[in-house]
Amino acid sequence: MVAFTVDQMRSLMDKVTNVRNMSVIAHVDHGKSTLTDSLVQKAGIISAAKAGEARFMDTRKDEQERGITIKSTAISLFAEINDEDVKDIKQKSDGNSFLINLIDSPGHVDFSSEVTAALRVTDGALVVVDTVEGVCVQTETVLRQALGERIKPVVVINKVDRALLELQVTKEDLYQSFSRTVESVNVIISTYADEVLGDVQVYPSQGTVAFGSGLHGWAFTIRQFANRYGKKFGVDKSKMMERLWGDSYFNPKTKKWTNKETDASGKPLERAFNMFVLDPIFRLFAAIMNFKKDEIPVLLEKLEINLKGDEKELEGKALLKVVMKKFLPAADALLEMIVMHLPSPVTAQNYRAEQLYEGPSDDPFCLAIKKCDPNADLMLYVSKMVPTSDKGRFYAFGRVFAGTVKSGQKVRIQGPNYVPGKKDDLFLKAIQRVVLMMGSRTEPIDDCPAGNIVGLVGVDQFLLKTGTLTTNEAAHNMKVMKFSVSPVVQVAVEVKNANDLPKLVEGLKRLSKSDPCVLTYMSESGEHIVAGTGELHLEICLQDLENDHAGIPLKISPPVVAYRETVEGESSQVALSKSPNKHNRIYLKAEPIDEEVSLAIENGKINPRDDFKARARIMADEFNWDVTDARKIWCFGPDGNGPNLVVDQTKAVQYLHEIKDSVVAAFQWATKEGPIFGEQMRSVRVNILDVTLHADAIHRGGGQIIPTMRRATYAGFLLAEPKIQEPVFLVEIQCPEQAVGGIYSVLNKKRGQVVSEEQRPGTPLFTVKAYLPVNESFGFTGELRQATGGQAFPQMVFDHWATLGSDPLDPTTKAGEIVLAARKRHGMKEEVPGWQEYYDKL
Amino acid sequence: MLDSETVHAGVPVALSTAQTEDTFTLAKYESTVTDRSSYLGPDSNENLREAIARYYDIEHIAEYFTHNKSFRNITLQFPDKLIQDSSTVTQLLQDKLVIQDKDTKSAKRNIWVLADTAYSPCCVDEVASEHVNADIVIHFGDACLNAIKSQPVLYCFGRPYLDFDELSQGFKKTYSDEMAKVCLMADAPHSECIGKLYEILRNDGYENLLYAVVDEKSSSSNCTILQSDQHQASHSNKLISLQNRAIYSSNKELKTIDEANLQENYDLFHITVPADPHLLFLTTKFKTVSLYDTETSSVKQGPYPSLMKRYKFMHVARTAGCIGILVNTLSLKNTKETINTLVKHIRDSGKKHYLFVVGKPNVAKLANFEPVDIWCILGCGQGGIILDQHNEFYKPIITPYELTLALKPEVTWTGQWVVDFDAVLDEIEQENTQMNVAFEDSTNLSKAEAKDLSGDLQNEGAPDFDAVTGKYISTSRPLRKLKHLELDYPAMGSRELTKNVAGGVIIKGTVSTSAAHLQSREWTGLGSDYSSQDGYDESGAAVEEGISGVASGYEFDRTNKPKSR
Repeated sequence: MVAFTVDQMRSLMDKVTNVRNMSVIAHVDHGKSTLTDSLVQKAGIISAAKAGEARFMDTRKDEQERGITIKSTAISLFAEINDEDVKDIKQKSDGNSFLINLIDSPGHVDFSSEVTAALRVTDGALVVVDTVEGVCVQTETVLRQALGERIKPVVVINKVDRALLELQVTKEDLYQSFSRTVESVNVIISTYADEVLGDVQVYPSQGTVAFGSGLHGWAFTIRQFANRYGKKFGVDKSKMMERLWGDSYFNPKTKKWTNKETDASGKPLERAFNMFVLDPIFRLFAAIMNFKKDEIPVLLEKLEINLKGDEKELEGKALLKVVMKKFLPAADALLEMIVMHLPSPVTAQNYRAEQLYEGPSDDPFCLAIKKCDPNADLMLYVSKMVPTSDKGRFYAFGRVFAGTVKSGQKVRIQGPNYVPGKKDDLFLKAIQRVVLMMGSRTEPIDDCPAGNIVGLVGVDQFLLKTGTLTTNEAAHNMKVMKFSVSPVVQVAVEVKNANDLPKLVEGLKRLSKSDPCVLTYMSESGEHIVAGTGELHLEICLQDLENDHAGIPLKISPPVVAYRETVEGESSQVALSKSPNKHNRIYLKAEPIDEEVSLAIENGKINPRDDFKARARIMADEFNWDVTDARKIWCFGPDGNGPNLVVDQTKAVQYLHEIKDSVVAAFQWATKEGPIFGEQMRSVRVNILDVTLHADAIHRGGGQIIPTMRRATYAGFLLAEPKIQEPVFLVEIQCPEQAVGGIYSVLNKKRGQVVSEEQRPGTPLFTVKAYLPVNESFGFTGELRQATGGQAFPQMVFDHWATLGSDPLDPTTKAGEIVLAARKRHGMKEEVPGWQEYYDKL
Repeated sequence: MLDSETVHAGVPVALSTAQTEDTFTLAKYESTVTDRSSYLGPDSNENLREAIARYYDIEHIAEYFTHNKSFRNITLQFPDKLIQDSSTVTQLLQDKLVIQDKDTKSAKRNIWVLADTAYSPCCVDEVASEHVNADIVIHFGDACLNAIKSQPVLYCFGRPYLDFDELSQGFKKTYSDEMAKVCLMADAPHSECIGKLYEILRNDGYENLLYAVVDEKSSSSNCTILQSDQHQASHSNKLISLQNRAIYSSNKELKTIDEANLQENYDLFHITVPADPHLLFLTTKFKTVSLYDTETSSVKQGPYPSLMKRYKFMHVARTAGCIGILVNTLSLKNTKETINTLVKHIRDSGKKHYLFVVGKPNVAKLANFEPVDIWCILGCGQGGIILDQHNEFYKPIITPYELTLALKPEVTWTGQWVVDFDAVLDEIEQENTQMNVAFEDSTNLSKAEAKDLSGDLQNEGAPDFDAVTGKYISTSRPLRKLKHLELDYPAMGSRELTKNVAGGVIIKGTVSTSAAHLQSREWTGLGSDYSSQDGYDESGAAVEEGISGVASGYEFDRTNKPKSR
């Protein structure tokens, strides 16, 4: 039963101050989707009974079967808050009805890119943490991403029922566990939070932390209890909230509050949180689970819980569920927290605008985003594509940041390569329809004002994954999302039946569209490659490709790893190459780029599209670059944005700028296919030291310069201690103590490197963190399960590129073996050409 | 011309033509003890003239001319490798012909040597020989026997020296199993030795061998092949023709063999290393290929050019906006028709093309044309097609057949290596008829279909998915329906040369991808690089009036003069 109509919602969308865009993020299996269900239940879309089991947000069949979320799903919810609460909202609001646009995102590390896409269109995040497991690797990853996007977090500590039922902890233990979790979340927040956001740490005493059980459908914040007790004690609510958390004790004899844990006579006092918040819950649990039939009604009456006829017959867990749901309905607590503490689009876009927009922060479009102005020119960011029931077609899913998007409106569709004033990646088309995304359903609406999340029909064929929609031709693009994961695991796919080829290519296109992170491309040797972030991600992608997008039987190669080519030293001599006509010479040296700089380029901190002066400033201030060098960066490569640089260090060369375009083209080419085995280069800086050019323009054209610059780059590269880099996963394994030994032996066998091992306090669980080369990770999960009797499950996420120490040019070393195998696979000559091949004598 | 030396060097040579420094230093006699032993035999230097006469079969050539007295202007065409013998051959030939001419009173016969073959050396350079109004071309060395338009040709392959002991040793080392199914093949000069090798190996117990000789029927009527006394034992039966080769076997039970069988079961043992395009052709026809290099007397097995790479290039062509048609032959039959049909086909698919005729194309020459996204080369299948084995070329190069595949609306790949122009023309013809049928169907539009059409309008201009990079390419069809580009041409008298519209740049009413490319360059002429420099002032320096006058007396001199005096 739908408790609200589309019209009602549409009218709410105009009151942007009463809109909350939020995503639910967490580690895998910490209960996001289940918790989300209780919210969906509150909004009345699915029947109350099924909440906690239905996984409304998991719209795909395999999601339901596997019990994990794969794609993020959006839904709009309607919430009403009582007037008293509205007064406590610290930002502008209007009336007491609120629209919540919620995106449930996957928790498995392999699907982090979905989270990134969800975060872009939301302003707040509900971070779900398991009471028992605590903060895990993915919790940290997504939280870091959220803060990077300037998104404000609130926390739910979930699965409290587990702690009570399975671990049978004491009240104080539970409090300690809560406070440790809150603390570790705050550590992450303070590490990664942007100054602009202000203090975004979470405090239970301020109501930014909720505790509950998604499965049982209950949750509470301290604010709710403060409400109850505030009246009873006649204490102000906010004061009460502070008293109900931390080192605050109540002496029942003296009826006094104190911050000492003992009374005057030295007798221990009970913590206020334990006494007022946990005690009723513990008592309910104890009474119901121990079947104390006589105690239960008394308790229920005390807590003002009324059971209906047949509910009274229930026993044990079933009764517990009903009672707790009535006592502390999860949706109430969560909705209250979301509405009160997460920012509205108006609030959020004010500080997010400059980070979202590629153009100057004082142009009208950035200002419109800042103000979330529905009457300005349209600025809409499409963050992902959602498949429709119509095969091969997609809804473009995104957020209106400024202006209003309407059905039939003519817009400029700007792909990621669009540059204002140029015609590349630009289409002028009409939007066919605007829709609201409601889980697996959509509802058409006429228009949608700034600050809201929408789906669009009729845009998908112009954008592959993401893009910007605008109505003004002066508008720049919205910034492209940067993913924390990298598609480093790849397989080659091939059709079994040659006639299916068109379907495969079409399928690859659809696959590419449907997933924010997957890459499909063709290898050097002409194979179709699908690259994903991990084995699970690839498995899902290939399954989709085979069954859905292409719908044909495929031959799939075993997974291989993407490598990078890099240098470790400066070129031992100046590399010189002469043009084919011998009239032009390029002198250069290659040297490595610091890892921090490469990372900054990769995550967009140093952006090739930024103004070169501003960029040079950052590079000089934060990365110790010479300012003149930083200003004379000619290009990034490959694809114009990779972590390889050409720096012009020449002095007074005539016609130099005339060959810049040719040099840039050559560098893109050279960095795309390195000389060792045709993999991309990474962290290579090429300093052009001198250039001699023919005086006649016709003799220094592209034909002379492009091949020469490429050769010179190769020569400089091979003279600078060339190495190869392999991707490395960060593996996190949680397991009981007795399994730790097994983990170590498997890790040792796989070139793994243990980073840390710690016991989670209050639990028998150990957390082992280790670095594991992606190359060794295939089948790791299976072996681990075998070695530990199925008790250890790894979470693997791409962490960094590690340089292999051995010489890739020597086929007897580890690096050399990898190179040799790849060269054979690509049909290249087995021997890596030496620098002499590319070096010309003077 | 595909320079065979460059390719076989096996390493990326940047200066891709043979124009190394020593090309330009004049050959000195002391230093040019050219080693001819690889084809004339080990002791040829002692009696060079005779050895050359024997190799080039001067005897037979002279005999040919006694029967064909009408040929007065004779041109000799040598491949680069054999050009060193040209003077000797000319001399020998002249000597013979002078003796012949003594008896007759006809005009003197003229002999020319075609020194610089602009395109593939295996083809007859008709254009060059027409420059001297030649009556006949004598073509020496390996030949593709491709049909040419008009001129009579005399093919003289040469009689190369071959060490049969080494050769059969090499064969036995490669195929130790005597039951191995192997086809023996060689380039045209070595083909006459094939029969002998076949006999030797049969006597050694190899039973399932086939052998290929030059198929004279494949050459056109105005061609004559000297040395047509090749091994064609009556007890052998012809099984199949493969381009210009006929495959024989003396096995009586084997009457015929089809290509599929050949490809599945037979290995190829090829004497001499063929040029890349031909090698690629052979690898598609046989199970495996082994090459016997006569210069080093060794057997090579790969790496060979791969067809998968061609598949990749075909995909590149699908999203290429600008195609450079590179004409690398002038004499092949149907060249013009093919160019015209291709051009039309390219335009119909909304792509832009430019036509190039480049003698001896190399990396530098092709890289000069930056706006070209892909090259389509028209050349002889034996040696006139550039296969970029080492990724030296800035932009990939494909064949006309591959281009026709790429221009089809749906991804198609046949896995064949087709270089024949006729096949290309057929393919396009077929495509066009299919399109016409489709068009006729669509003229009977029902209402539902009309609605579809409006959907098409919405999709108009949608980018293409590039399977190579995995990205959307919006520039793949610069010529697609211009009316949707909201075109308005610059008014008459306007001084604007180009006009920017959504999707391209217009010059004189046609879309120009190269103009678009020029506009996208950072360097737009002198001064355009100053804007990035410190203290750059948009307005530039102010113009100030300097001093005027001539050196003997500037303005201020004159005004000062009276005072000093």
